[in-house]
Amino acid sequence: MNGLIISWLLLPFLLAFSSALWPKLGWWMALLCCGATLAVGLALSFDPQPILIQLVGPTGVTLLLDGWIAPFLLLNALVCAAVLLEWGHSHDDPSFCLLVMVLLGSINSALVCHDLISLYVALEVVSLCAFLLIADRHKFRSLWIALRYLLVGSTALLFFLIGCAQVQASHGSFAFEGVSGATTGAQALLLIGLLTKSGLFVSGLWLPRTHAEAPAEVSALLSGVVITAGAAPLVRIGQATPALGSVLLWLGLASAGFAVVFALLETDVKRLLAWSTVSQIGLVVISPVTAGLFALGHGLAKACLFLLTRRCPSRRLESWSEMPLPRSVALPMRLASLSIAGCPLLVGYLAKEQLQQQLAPLPVLLVTLFSVGTAAVYTRLWASPIERLGDQGSAADAGSPAGTPFQWGVALLMVALVLGNGLPLVGNDSTLWLISFKGSSLLKSLGVLLAGWALHSLIQPWRPRIKLPDLEGFDDLIGGMGIMGTALVVILSW
Amino acid sequence: MIEALVLVTALAGFLGLLLRRNLFLKVMALDVMSTGVIGFFVLLAARSGLRTPILDSSTGTASEPAAGYADPVPQAVILTAIVIGFSVQALLLVVITHLAQREPSLQIEALEETAEG
Repeated sequence: MNGLIISWLLLPFLLAFSSALWPKLGWWMALLCCGATLAVGLALSFDPQPILIQLVGPTGVTLLLDGWIAPFLLLNALVCAAVLLEWGHSHDDPSFCLLVMVLLGSINSALVCHDLISLYVALEVVSLCAFLLIADRHKFRSLWIALRYLLVGSTALLFFLIGCAQVQASHGSFAFEGVSGATTGAQALLLIGLLTKSGLFVSGLWLPRTHAEAPAEVSALLSGVVITAGAAPLVRIGQATPALGSVLLWLGLASAGFAVVFALLETDVKRLLAWSTVSQIGLVVISPVTAGLFALGHGLAKACLFLLTRRCPSRRLESWSEMPLPRSVALPMRLASLSIAGCPLLVGYLAKEQLQQQLAPLPVLLVTLFSVGTAAVYTRLWASPIERLGDQGSAADAGSPAGTPFQWGVALLMVALVLGNGLPLVGNDSTLWLISFKGSSLLKSLGVLLAGWALHSLIQPWRPRIKLPDLEGFDDLIGGMGIMGTALVVILSW
Repeated sequence: MIEALVLVTALAGFLGLLLRRNLFLKVMALDVMSTGVIGFFVLLAARSGLRTPILDSSTGTASEPAAGYADPVPQAVILTAIVIGFSVQALLLVVITHLAQREPSLQIEALEETAEG
C-alpha cells in the first residue's frame, strides 16, 4: 500500500521529466496524472480510514492520507484535467503540460504531507511552478507580476522556516502536532507563511492582480487549486492546535467580508473573480469540518468562470449588458456563478449550508451577510444577454468567439459541480446531508439570492462614484505581511 | 545572544525588502533575510554540541558521548532550504535582467508605473 501511495506521489514528477523527452506525449501523460489523483481522491472518499506513512524514521517525512483530504485531491485532479482539456493536445508549447504535471504533483504533496519541512518544500515547488506559468518573457507586465508573486511568496516562506526552527527546538520534531506546544512567536510566523500562500485577508493582497493578469488557464489553476495548497495545511495545523482555531475563524470572516466589498466595486471581470477568491478562501478556513467540500465547490466553479472569461469579448463589466454571449459561454457562466452564490442543487449550496451548521449564531449571521454580498457580486455576471440562435451566423462573421469547438474542460467542471452534491453521502454522512435540504434552508438560500440581487440594483448607480484605496502596490504587500505578523503576535498572546 | 543577532539579521533583511526603493537591492535584502534564517538553523543544530555527527565505522556507534555532537536534522533540513533559496534568487535575477531592458533604473515606482500604464 505504502509503495503504491509513494509511486502515485512521484508519478507526476517522473512523467514531467519524461515529457521533456517526448513532448508529443506530454498532454496524455498529464491527463494520466490527473486520472491517478482522481482515483486516489475517490478511493479516500469511499474508505476514509487514515493512512499514516513515516519515511526515514520519526524525524523524516510524514504523510497522512485520510477522508478529510479527499475533496482537495478531487479538486486538484478535476481542475488540472479541465485546464488540460481546454488547452488542447495539439498545442505547440510543450512546457505547459510539463509545468501542470509538476504543479499537480507538488500540490498533492502539500496536501498529504504531515510535517512542516515537507510542507515548506512542497509550497516552494508550487510557487516556482506558478511563477513559471504566470511569467511570459515577452510581456513586461506579466514578468513584473510574476516577480512580485515569487518575491512575496519566498519572503512569507522564510518567516515560515523561522517558525519551523522554533517548533523543532521546543518539540524535537517538525510534526504538525508540535505547533500547539510552540511559542506564540513561532505560531505567528508559521501562520504568516501559510496565510500569505493561501491569500487570506491583508496578507493576500497580492492575489487579485496576480490572478487577474495571468492567462485564463493559469488563473483557473491559481484560483482553483494553488491556493488550497496553502489553505488545506493551514486548516490541518489549526485542527491540531486549539489556540489557532478561533484566530482562523475570525481571520477567515475578516477576509470574506473585506474582499467582498472590493469585489462589489470592481469593474474588471477577472479582478472581480480574483477578489471573490480572497473572500471565498476565507470561508474555506473557518471550519475544518467543511473546508474540503467548500474548497471543492469554490474551486470547480471558479476555475470554470476563469476558463470562460477567455471567450468573453470584453473584460470591462460595464459593457456586458450590451454584449450578447453565445449560449456555450453564458449558460455555464450562469450555472457556475449560481453555485458560488449558493443556489440549491449545486455543490456550492451544500458547502455553505453545512458550514453554517458548524458555526455559532454570530458567525452564521456574518456568513449569511457575506453570502448576500457574494450573490450581489455574481449577479453582475448575469448582465449579458444570451445570444439567440438565429444571430450566431452573423456574430461568427463579425469575429466573435461563437462557433468555437466544444468546451470539454468546462463540461467536466459542470458535471462535477452537480455530482459533488453526492460526495458527503459517500462518506456515510447522510444525516448532515439530509438536514442541508430542509425546507427552511432552501427558502433561506433563495432569500439570500434575492437579497443579493436587490443589493446589486442598489449599488449599481453608486459604483462609479465610490473609490476604494489601491492596496496592491509592492510595498503594501510586504508591509501587509509585517502588519499581519505583528497583529498575530498580539492576538495570539492575548 | 548570538541567536538574537541572527534573528536581527533576518529582520534587517525584511526591513530592507520593505524600505529599499531599488528592485535589485530588494532581492539582495531577501538574500540577507535568508542568510539570517540559515544562520538560525545552524545555531539551533549546534546547541547540543559542535562535533560533526558521523558514526565510527569500526564500532558502529559514536565514539564520543552523544552530547558533544551537533544535531544533524536541522542541518539536513536547511541544506534543502539553501538550494531552494538559491534557485529562487537565480530566477528573480533573470527576471530583473529582463525588466531592466525596459526600465534600467529598476526603481519600484517606475516599474509599477510602466507595468500599470
